[in-house]
Formats: sequence, C-alpha cells, structure tokens
Amino acid sequence: MTDTVIEMEGVGKRYTKYDDQPTLMNALRIRQRTKRSHLWAVRGVSLEINRGESVGVLGRNGAGKSTMLQMLAGVTAPTEGVVRVNGRVAPLISVGVGFHPELTGRENVYVNGTVLGMDRATVDRRFDNIVQFAELEHFIDTPVKFYSSGMFVRLGFAVAVEADPDILLVDEILAVGDFAFQLRCFERMEAIRSQGSTLVVVSHNLNAVRGFCDRTVLLHQGEKVFDGPTFEGIGRYYQLLGQSPREEDDSPLPGQTGRERDTLEIEGFELRSGAGRPTAHVHSGDECVFRIHARALRAVEQPFVGITVASESGVAVYSDTNRQDPLPSLKEGERATFDVTVRASLAQGGFTASASVHRRRGDGSILLARAEPLQFFVSGRGMVSGIADLGGEFSLGQAP
Amino acid sequence: MRQLLRDLWRARPVLAVLARKEFYARYRRTSLGILWAVGLPLLQASVLAVVFTRIVHFSSAIHRTNGVHVSYPVFLYAGLTAWSFFTSNMPGASTAIVDSANLARKIYFPRALFPLLVVTTGIYPLVIGTGVLFALVLALQHHIGIEFLWVVPAAALTVAITAGLGLVLSALHVYFRDVRFLVQAVMSVLFYLSPIIYSLNAAPGTLGKFVAYGPMAGPIELFRLATVGADHGWITAVVAGLCWFVVSTFFGLLLQSRYDRVFVDLM
Repeated sequence: MTDTVIEMEGVGKRYTKYDDQPTLMNALRIRQRTKRSHLWAVRGVSLEINRGESVGVLGRNGAGKSTMLQMLAGVTAPTEGVVRVNGRVAPLISVGVGFHPELTGRENVYVNGTVLGMDRATVDRRFDNIVQFAELEHFIDTPVKFYSSGMFVRLGFAVAVEADPDILLVDEILAVGDFAFQLRCFERMEAIRSQGSTLVVVSHNLNAVRGFCDRTVLLHQGEKVFDGPTFEGIGRYYQLLGQSPREEDDSPLPGQTGRERDTLEIEGFELRSGAGRPTAHVHSGDECVFRIHARALRAVEQPFVGITVASESGVAVYSDTNRQDPLPSLKEGERATFDVTVRASLAQGGFTASASVHRRRGDGSILLARAEPLQFFVSGRGMVSGIADLGGEFSLGQAP
Repeated sequence: MRQLLRDLWRARPVLAVLARKEFYARYRRTSLGILWAVGLPLLQASVLAVVFTRIVHFSSAIHRTNGVHVSYPVFLYAGLTAWSFFTSNMPGASTAIVDSANLARKIYFPRALFPLLVVTTGIYPLVIGTGVLFALVLALQHHIGIEFLWVVPAAALTVAITAGLGLVLSALHVYFRDVRFLVQAVMSVLFYLSPIIYSLNAAPGTLGKFVAYGPMAGPIELFRLATVGADHGWITAVVAGLCWFVVSTFFGLLLQSRYDRVFVDLM
C-alpha cells in the first residue's frame, strides 16, 4: 500500500448555472431553450497528500475550498480529472450529520456512528468516551432538539473523532463551541494525527491552520496557486486578501496617506496574558499584551502600530497608535515583534482586536500591513455591565 | 451498476440503523405510536366497508366464482394492506433523494439508499397490518388455512415494486420536480383503477385488462389468495406485477448508477 492517501489529478468541477430550472416541460421540448452558463468552481488542481500529513486549504470565499472538500468526501464527482481517496473519510464538513432532533443524544450517537462507518459493537465500546468528551453525561438521554448549538456540535465532533477515520476533513466547524472546547478539539485532532490519520483543514481561522498544518494549499478562483509550507502559504493568503477590493473600505487611520504592499508582512497577531502565555481569555483589569509578529521584506523606517479594540456589537472601545513616538527601524528581512501592553479595563464579553503596522512618511503615514482580527473574551467582575470596567469605588461621604 | 450494487450491499448497516431511526422518530411523540400505522388503513377499510355495504348496497358477503361466501370487509382489507403500503411510501420514496439533501451534501452513500430507506421504514407497519389481516380473517371468516402463507410473497412483491418505482422516480425527481405532484395525481387515480374495492374481474373489457396490469394488482391479488381466494385472472396480475418490479428496478438502478455522484449538484 502506498503512502499516498489522497491524489488529485487535473481535477475540475464545473457547475451549470441554469437561468431557468430544468423542468419536465423544458426537457420534453425538442428545441433547447434553457439558458445555461458554466462555472468552473475548481479547475486543474493536482495534488498528493500522504498518510499522516496535515494540510490546510486556504482561499477567499468562492475560491473552491468547499467544492474540493466535497469531492474528497466523495459527495460529488469531478467533471474532469481523477480524485483517488485511499481510506475511510470522516467529513466534518458539518458535524452531527444525520442527527434527528426527536431522538435522544444516545440514539443519535448510534445513528451518527454507523453513518460514519462504525459498527454497533464499536459504538458500544466507545460510547463512554464519546459522552465524556462531549461533556454531555447529564443530557445524553435528552432529545437533541433541546440541545444548545454548542452541545450539538460537541456531540457531533465527539462521534466523528471516535470513528477512527483515516482521513479527517475539517471545515469551518471549529468556529463553533466555546473556547475551552475548541482547545480540546485541537488536542484531539493532534492525537488523531499522531496516530497516522491524515487531516485536511479548511478554515479562515489562520491560527488553527498555523497551529495544525505543516503544509498549506492556497486556492484562488478555483486554481491552486500555492502548495507548500504553511508559513509561506499564510503570507500568500494575505497577499490575496490584500488584493481584495473590500479591504480598501477599511477605515484608514487618521492621517493615513498611502498603502504600501510588499514592505512588511504580518505573520501573526496574538494576545498574551500578563504572564506571557498566549491566551484568548483575560480577566477584567489584568494586564495583557497584544503581540504582532512581523517580517520586514524591505527596510522599514520608523514603524508604528495602530490598534483598535471593539466590542461584540462593533463599538470601538479603544483605538490608539504610537505614531508620534515610532519604534526603531527594521532592516530588510528582519523579524520583529511589536507589543502593545494594555490593561483590560473591560466588562465581561467578547471583543475583537485589530492591528496594523504603518510607517511614517513626512507628516503622513503609510499602511504596511493589517493583521487578521483577533477575538478574545474578558471575564468581568460580578456586577459590572456595559463595555468598559472603570473600576468604580463606592463610598459614603459626609454632607456639608 | 455492479459498483452501485456493491456499495449498496456495503451500506446495509447504515440502512438498518437509519430505518430504525426514522421509524422511532416518526412515532416518538405520539401517544398511540405504531397504532396509527395500523389504525389508519383499518379506519379506511371500515369506512369503505360501511359505504359499500350499507349505502351502495353491495352484499356484505360476496360470492366468489367457486361459490364460497367471503366477508367484504376482509376482501377489502386484504387489498388495502398492499395499497396502504404503496400509497404511504411511494410519494416519500420518489422525493427521497431531494429530501435527504442535508445528509447527501455532506457524506457519501449511494443515493439509491434513500428511496430504499423510505421503503424499508414502511415494512414495520406492513408487517403489523398483515397481523391485523390475520386477526380479521379469524374474526370474520372463522377459518384460516395454510394458504395464509401467501402473505409472504404478497408483502414481498408489494415492497419490491414500490422500491423499484422509488429508484426510478427519486432519480427523475432530482431533475424534474414535477414528479412529486405527478405521483400524487397518479396515486389518487390508481386507487380506483386497482382492484381494491372491487374484484379483478369486476371491470369489463379493456378497462379490466388495464386494472390487471396496474402495479398493485399483483400484490393485491396475492393478499386475496392468502385470505379470501384470488379472483379469476390473478396470475396475469401477478406476472404483470413481477414485470413492474423487474423493469422498474432495472431502469432505476441504471439511472441511479449513472447520476449517483452528480445528483448533489442539482439539490
């Protein structure tokens, strides 16, 4: 048996877009009046994936990622070329496939497990593991229609990873579920992978792809434009994002006078706790650090950072820059981290941080790169609500 | 086509577990549960029996060609056992592939599994309905013999024809959504063109031939053979039924294996 588990050769998938649906009447008509146009969702993609590899598939919306996963899952056949998949595939394209709302969690585990290729005895054996992983000991005999969306996803994921797939196809699902569960999913996927399974991850969550995949395939308008180390792939992905017209709408920093690509590349943007550990969860009032990992593609004079923290509802809570006090210059090829240390004087809730790196030019500034926004959660003090925690102290004073 | 049959054979456990799931899910929140599956055809049989014996004045005991008197309700219910399976599963089977789009878009099984799933789920009520038929024969005819075993081929033929037609129609339905309504229309006409409320040789001339060649005539006659004795010409009906099964299954599998992996693009 070869070590190649997935092989695609010149694969293309063409969708036919009917301007009017094929109906019985149209089919019976001799003259073909249906207007149709063709759309290649994927074209000319060739690649090989070996056992135990973990490959990220990146691309903007409509780049053909989902079509590719569907072909790997065998759900749809390619229009041209060959897809060969060697082994059992568990598609996490969406978890809980075949879950029935009226049935209990227990019953659905059996149904879903069988759908994913386990026999009854295997499900019996692994049932406790599944329930434990999903943290649903108390709800396993409740119909799943009463489950929260998080519980639903947890159970679905738990079954899928217990199915011992040779190939795990992971779509955006990791965006669901709470943070703690996401971490456990990652651990679990890592474990599966170390047992020799192959992972294909499609995600906009670059942190997930970066943490997981050694190799990245970048799709653009249905074609493979990059296949190589993830590190480089993410950079290429950003370049593609940078070309998108949408990004130009982003509100520029006051005084911004230009945009320069290919000068500096942001390789990562993360939140670290006061103790210096990467985190996505801080306590209100704690000190924490937003860290930007950057690489200067050319020499950068007087770089500075812009940062914005917004609440879940999109209200900008804090926006700041060190434009007046830029940082030391970077040499060509130099890697550096920009740190913004803040005190999280925020009330409980989810927040989004976005950051960008600029350089000064005369009185104005030039945007060099923008980091993928970062989501994090703040646990607040008991009675505080709102967006910010101003740390009020309550006291009684004597009236004059 | 061979590949499709192999895949289907391999998907047996999935079929079994999904059928059980559908079945439980269907009756889970009902107080009477499976009784509904039996009760509805029984109710229909009672109403028809009352209408045709009290209002239209058929005799409540009808004479067969061999001179034996048989109870009209039993005669009726024997036909309805096959018919209610057909009528309650044919529409579902013919839309099964599109209805399962949610599952089909995410994981691969041979798509032919879905119409077969609907038909399989319907087998439980059919078995229970056959049990009721047994009870009715005992209660109203006071005689039951070895010939009751004909219910086995009768039920098998009922299921087989429905499955075959389900394979064809569910494939067509992906492309032509009219199929759903076409099936409903044909079902409502076919009820009167099948020998359910009347016997096979009651219809004269060309119409009579047409009735015998209908898809459900064969199974109905076999159920009659098991209970009240078959009508004259039942063999023709059964042969026609076998033809329905063979032809529809062949074309069904042909369509399914040809379009198996592209259905999803049109859902």
